Amino acid sequence: MGLLTILKKMKQKEREMRLLMLGLDNAGKTTILKKFNGEDVSTISPTLGFNIKTLEHRGFKLNIWDVGGQKSLRSYWRNYFESTDGLVWVVDSADRLRLEDCRQELSSLLLEERLAGATLLVFANKQDLPGALSKEAIREALALDEIKSHHWCIIGCSAVTGENLLAGVDWLLDDIAARIFTTD
Amino acid sequence: MDVVAEVSQETGFAGESGADKLQERLQKRHQARVEDAERRKEAKESQSVAEEKGEYFYTTFNKERASIEELLSSCSGADRAAVTRTLEEATAKTVQLQKFLNDSMLFLKQYDLRQAQAALQKLQTSLTEIREEALPKKKFGFRARTKATDPVSAPVSATPLPDAGTPADSGSTKVDGAAAPEQCSFSNMDNVSLTKTAEEIQKRDVLLTHLTNCKVRLFGAPSTLHLKHIDSCEILCGPVSSSVFIDHCTNSTLAVPCQQLRTHNTTDTQVYLHVTSRAIIEDCRGVSFAPFSWSYPTLEEDFTVAGLDQDRNNWNQVDDFNWLAAGTPSPNWTVIPEVDRKTNWDP
Repeated sequence: MGLLTILKKMKQKEREMRLLMLGLDNAGKTTILKKFNGEDVSTISPTLGFNIKTLEHRGFKLNIWDVGGQKSLRSYWRNYFESTDGLVWVVDSADRLRLEDCRQELSSLLLEERLAGATLLVFANKQDLPGALSKEAIREALALDEIKSHHWCIIGCSAVTGENLLAGVDWLLDDIAARIFTTD
Repeated sequence: MDVVAEVSQETGFAGESGADKLQERLQKRHQARVEDAERRKEAKESQSVAEEKGEYFYTTFNKERASIEELLSSCSGADRAAVTRTLEEATAKTVQLQKFLNDSMLFLKQYDLRQAQAALQKLQTSLTEIREEALPKKKFGFRARTKATDPVSAPVSATPLPDAGTPADSGSTKVDGAAAPEQCSFSNMDNVSLTKTAEEIQKRDVLLTHLTNCKVRLFGAPSTLHLKHIDSCEILCGPVSSSVFIDHCTNSTLAVPCQQLRTHNTTDTQVYLHVTSRAIIEDCRGVSFAPFSWSYPTLEEDFTVAGLDQDRNNWNQVDDFNWLAAGTPSPNWTVIPEVDRKTNWDP
């Protein structure tokens, strides 16, 4: 193992990513963030503003931004777009009445120039509820198959039970890593 | 130490024995050095893995690249469906190749890395070109749903996802806002009294929409509760384990314990609330709050089922998303004076 290899390996360890978590209010963004970080999820209040967490996962340093999804806060989302590597779009799979809102918000986000290079992970959250739509139904309702501008993937999950959160984040990391850590 | 001794010896003998001996010694040392180098080379080779060699990388990379190029060239003249399939495959393969390159990055030389990167870039470009040429921006239309049976869930994900294999209940699912059978709901009713029992709502997501002049009693602990387009109703509900979401509600009285309350576009409504984290309002006017006071025989047990702390109630800490000024209270909500609070909930 030469010096160069050691240096490269060290550099690998410092790999940092910025993830932006958005979605309509009541989708479960903060719950996902806290559950992923192993915190208590029973005391979460509706997010007035934003939360930021830095955590280590698989040797990556993740800066996760969780921005409130209330209507009155959505116009501030754009303040968080800069240098985002991955966009996590969280959907309340049981909220059938607002799926159209959800689709519109997402599609306008994807037109954003500053998010052009970001990988998109869609979390079809609240799969623990009996009335939740499957991830296939969400995929159709949000017209995900029309998306050609971004790498994307949809994962059904439950923030309350923690089911599939890891699978989603792992996919996201793989996709981002494949993109940004080659040419340095 | 040895070196010093040898050096002194060398200088000592050099003068006497002449060039012959010196030549011989040099020859010997040269031999030793060559052998040493050989040994080290062998040791190094035994440590390195076959996959971590430039040569292996080169052949594999080029083979994959050729196969993608072949896929792309087969696109011309083929019909639309075939082109779509081929392009998907080519995209997936390109992503895989990129990953292979990334994994090989550690042992590749700068030059090779750049070459490979450039080759990939070229593939990407021609892929995009062919896609645009063969499949110009789609207008809305019907198409065969071949994707549903595709084992890889997203067209770009190279590795199959853990849940990709689970059967999807698509096709029959309605997403147009109509209630599905598995969802527990009351919709479009006028002037009626409605009751749901614990068996019907326990751990379910409950939805009430378009109710006017109704009296609703929900006994039990649902997972979540949504109210939308409610006018002049009285809605009482047992402990909700997560959030209650209210939209477009007017002239009504609600009583509910929950973890979170989110109230939108609501006017002139009284809320008798038990909330363990926070209540918020947005785009509301004339909403007033008081502590939850409804009771029924199994309420205590339902609190336990919902996992709500009965001793923690933040009913009067309401965040107004349209009133972020600290210090001055929001004009959009008030506390119901004690004398005006409802105490008798009997129908």
